[in-house]
Amino acid sequence: MTKELEQKFAKELEDNQSIIHKVCRSYTNNEAAHKDLFQEITIQLWKAYPKFRGESKFSTWMYRVSFNTAISLYRKSKRRVETTQIYDNLKELEYQDYDESSDKQLKLLYNAIYSLNDIEKALALMYLEDKSYKEISQTLGISEVNARVKMNRTKTKLKNILNP
Amino acid sequence: MENLDSIKDLWKNQGESTIRFTQSDIHNMVQKKSSSIVKWILIISILEFLLPNLVFIFTDIDATRSFYQKYELTTVMQFYGIIHIIIIIGFIYIFYKNYKNISVASNVKILLSDILKTRRTVKNYIYYNLTIMGIIGLHMFYMVYNSPQFIDELPNNSNLVMVWGISIILLVLVLLIFWLFYRVLYGFLLKKLKKNYAELLSQDSL
Repeated sequence: MTKELEQKFAKELEDNQSIIHKVCRSYTNNEAAHKDLFQEITIQLWKAYPKFRGESKFSTWMYRVSFNTAISLYRKSKRRVETTQIYDNLKELEYQDYDESSDKQLKLLYNAIYSLNDIEKALALMYLEDKSYKEISQTLGISEVNARVKMNRTKTKLKNILNP
Repeated sequence: MENLDSIKDLWKNQGESTIRFTQSDIHNMVQKKSSSIVKWILIISILEFLLPNLVFIFTDIDATRSFYQKYELTTVMQFYGIIHIIIIIGFIYIFYKNYKNISVASNVKILLSDILKTRRTVKNYIYYNLTIMGIIGLHMFYMVYNSPQFIDELPNNSNLVMVWGISIILLVLVLLIFWLFYRVLYGFLLKKLKKNYAELLSQDSL
């Protein structure tokens, strides 16, 4: 792979990195794990980049690879602190330690998303990003009907966590 | 956060992540090695393909050869050897084909299914190995225990049924240990993937 291609890739990734950060923050609960996952997503994106023909937008393609890495490929780092899915403990997650400036409600929202299972996390993120059911079903590889059922369940779960 | 529409606004108005990477960071990252589950599956699978066959490196070839000759096992073992090599090549071909199919740009369901399929090839390979070990073991016991050489060497007070019994128990124990070890390894590697795949396929409503 040429230097030129790598430069183009780095530029596009730098410009679009906020999407990956949202995925990383939803699938991890501390800064070290966030960086680990970001790195793994970057490696996977780079490996797949030569085959990216631009059929979809770079950001859409990146979103898909990011979910795939988080759901299927990412191995928990030893540094990652395991948390149980007990909603009462959400406020104690480690992210708060390095993210003092961000809004408290946003922190609670990320913590709530983190407490969902891997597939529900993807659904919650795509809901928040206003993705269509068509795109959601294509990203996950399930029917639109199944996507709707799962989305309803995820939204209810999210609502219950945020309003105990 | 009473309703979900208000959290959408919150989501859309969030600022940039506190963690940001520059182009130079990204250049460094692409040089790093992946530590993905697929990579581990590949490494462990290669070891699993090699290990059952590496046992032969540690066996004394001359002693094995003379043992086969003594009990007239040479032809049978050559037959098993050829069949085994053909089957291994078949397994490796299927594994490689499945492995190459894995694409991080597919959808989540296809990716999970392709990874699990690749792993299933290795699982079947292990089961094949355990079965062939059992078959060869039993065949060897049969040939050895029925040979005049063995019966001549057997002390007078020995009971052939007991010899058979002990041999089969040992064989089953060895196979069981291999099987248990494999189940643990398989479970450890695929727990997360299987859970996510089942979740994706489930259609239970609220």
